[in-house]
Amino acid sequence: MKRVQLEIILGTVFVLLSAAIMIVLGIREPQRLADYEVQQRAEEIEFGASVFVTNCTRCHGTQAQGITGIAPSLRDNHFFTQRIAEVGWGAGLEDYIVSVVTTGRQVSTRPQLYVGGGTPAMPTWSEKFGGPLRDDQIRAVAAFIMNFEPYALGQVPTVEPLLPVVDESTPEGRGQVVFLQAGCNACHTISGLSTGTIGPVLDGVGLRAATRVEGLTAEEYIHQSIIEPSAYVVEGYADGLMPQTFAETLTEEQIADLIAFLLTLQ
Amino acid sequence: MLNALRQRFNIPPRNEWRSWIGKMIDERVRIITAGLSIKELRAVVRGDPPTEKPNPRYKVITTSFIAHLRPRYYPAASTWFTHTFRLGWFTTFFFIVETLTGVILMVYYIPFPDQAYGSILEIESNVFFGELMRDAHRLGAEGMVIFSWLHLLRTYFTGSYKGPRTFTWLTGVLLLLITAWLSFTGYLLPWDQLAYWAVTVGTSITDSGPVVGPALNILMRGAPDIGTGGLLRFYLQHVILFPLIAILFISIHYYKVAREHSISLPAVIEETEITQEEKKEANRRIDLIPDLLSHEIFLISIGTFALLAILYFRLFNSPLETHANPQATPLDTKAPWYFWWLQGMLKIDPASIIENLVNPLFEMVGISFRLELSKLLNSKFIMGLVVPPGLVLLLMAIPYIDRNPSRLARNRPFAIAWGLAWVFIVIALSYMGTPQYGIETPPATRIIQDLAPEEGEGPLRLIPYAELQQGIYVVGEDYGDDLCPGLAYQPNPEEDVNNVVIGCPHLTAVFEQFSERLLEAEAEGGLPDLNARLIVEQLQANMFRVTPHVEWSDPITGDAKAYEHTYYLHEDRAREE
Repeated sequence: MKRVQLEIILGTVFVLLSAAIMIVLGIREPQRLADYEVQQRAEEIEFGASVFVTNCTRCHGTQAQGITGIAPSLRDNHFFTQRIAEVGWGAGLEDYIVSVVTTGRQVSTRPQLYVGGGTPAMPTWSEKFGGPLRDDQIRAVAAFIMNFEPYALGQVPTVEPLLPVVDESTPEGRGQVVFLQAGCNACHTISGLSTGTIGPVLDGVGLRAATRVEGLTAEEYIHQSIIEPSAYVVEGYADGLMPQTFAETLTEEQIADLIAFLLTLQ
Repeated sequence: MLNALRQRFNIPPRNEWRSWIGKMIDERVRIITAGLSIKELRAVVRGDPPTEKPNPRYKVITTSFIAHLRPRYYPAASTWFTHTFRLGWFTTFFFIVETLTGVILMVYYIPFPDQAYGSILEIESNVFFGELMRDAHRLGAEGMVIFSWLHLLRTYFTGSYKGPRTFTWLTGVLLLLITAWLSFTGYLLPWDQLAYWAVTVGTSITDSGPVVGPALNILMRGAPDIGTGGLLRFYLQHVILFPLIAILFISIHYYKVAREHSISLPAVIEETEITQEEKKEANRRIDLIPDLLSHEIFLISIGTFALLAILYFRLFNSPLETHANPQATPLDTKAPWYFWWLQGMLKIDPASIIENLVNPLFEMVGISFRLELSKLLNSKFIMGLVVPPGLVLLLMAIPYIDRNPSRLARNRPFAIAWGLAWVFIVIALSYMGTPQYGIETPPATRIIQDLAPEEGEGPLRLIPYAELQQGIYVVGEDYGDDLCPGLAYQPNPEEDVNNVVIGCPHLTAVFEQFSERLLEAEAEGGLPDLNARLIVEQLQANMFRVTPHVEWSDPITGDAKAYEHTYYLHEDRAREE
């Protein structure tokens, strides 16, 4: 066989094989596109989770459960079923989230329930308006929040979040759990445990508490600060930032545990 | 009336129609083929000798613009496969692949930082054959780089840069640089972390230059940092400026070969005693039409098939990392592999090497003078801006330095040894340029990074979703053989119902790897007072959060240290092994 003939035969085979590959890829392509989109959404939600944890937990809680008196839950039934009707938003919930995150809130829409994180109540997050987030990050946060839907609508039972390992047989250990469950961590920093910056740092509060207010012991001072925050406001912090509702939301026993825990911070 | 029409259009009587139509078609064919009649075309395809004299196939080369760029014929020996390996040809093939796929990608790509990354996702997820086009474009770029280097090596080792081809060699070196710059400018366009940081590091080299250095850096980046201006500049260089320059230099380079000095003959033919028959056979004409053309069509079919087969079997996948983030420097900044040699060179500090060699000598002799070159010479400037251009100039000057007239390998041992030495040096420098070489990462960071790199997969991300079980797993505690003994799941219930996995082998393996390496580092003294855990939490109905957390005391200062990284694992994320 001459070389040219061999090349013609092989060339024909290669062209046919190439065509076959294109046909097979073409048949699979719609499925691939659909799979890629599902995959893309999953990655967007994962990315949104990391953006949320870095930027939003201070006011909306570590699990988006909200913080009493500061900012609402983003995973409850009310948010998913009634919120957009309540504010008269015409489009979908995801776009509502994108819109609110982008521009923030100058004033709270429900000041009697949630005062927000200061002035403005919620900052503008978009880098277009001086915030830190790009558009794709804001979209990702919205995708992450939307992913709470099965929990919010009760379609899937909520899994209790894990808390750091503590010895719950002691009042101090139980108090640490209360500190995290009640959302104190969102506003108060304790080294190694929380990073909130709205309220004063609690490192060493066990030392300071006894001398803060004349006539009050350390226990009495902390107790007063929890149930009646406005009685004494630490210098440099505005009055009214801390929720006034802990007397109702926490039992006396929980408050006692919490005080025991805070007194260990020396 | 009919007769009038006949006269008007010069139509012959019915019995002459056949030859009349044939003649008309033949005329058109001769115009389209620039000189070949139908009969001649048939002879070309069948491999028959020319039907007319003078050979009409050469006429095509005179009259057709495209064919005019091609040679009339090559001597048989210069087309031996073992002589050229078709390396230059395939480099051109990849350039054409790049042009075709590139034009299609340009339809969808948006060169602005807010939208660039999104447009790539759009190409991958919403454009029919979009992923194929992107992968082919990336693979074609790698092919073009590889084949241009191989073409250069072949030309060097066969001594083909000598004699009448010195200028062709020079344009070839320029084409190598153009190819490198084309691929480097394309590297930035996806606007992911890989792109952003590779180009940031790459352009920062110019910053160390004297006088114009910082200005040059700003000229390239469009601002002190790469942003809207920088992306647009790179984009326009990638799609307009450098393709045009490449076409210009490819034309010059090729025209020299095709019309002036032809492909070199193998040195054995030119320089050794061979018989008259061998000589005749070596110089036998291989005509463009039909032999070279048919061979080229064959090569196109091979090249296309090879590209498609590689993509079909997913042997190559163009990477896409997370969105570019100027605030977060990745742990391992990676240049494209064909620039690793440059990255490796930047890790060398010549000033301190000379100091370390010379200063002990001064001390031995008793001179109190100490050489302090580091203060005078910036290593980034030397290794980034002086040495590489110097090497390029050296490469260009090879034909003028090497005055040895012989092209036979046995007559030029020094040139061959020199070439092999450089191949070895480039490979060694490339190894030094890999991100892991010579860069110390704290042990806790390295261990967690190896478990789950910032970008891409890694064992932690490959844990099947079904194996994620909420819990805090403490390093050093004994959990038995499996972290979740109560667990059992079907990996693919649709395909195989009987395939059941008991426990969580993947999660257990990841935890064991995490523990083993940490305990090893603790034993070696890198992580005293180790306290580490792997925290697996269910965050949402279909997503877990996994946090490897490590606490230790600094071995020197004794300060308490901690490092952790958080990963989110969604059920729908593909986990390919």
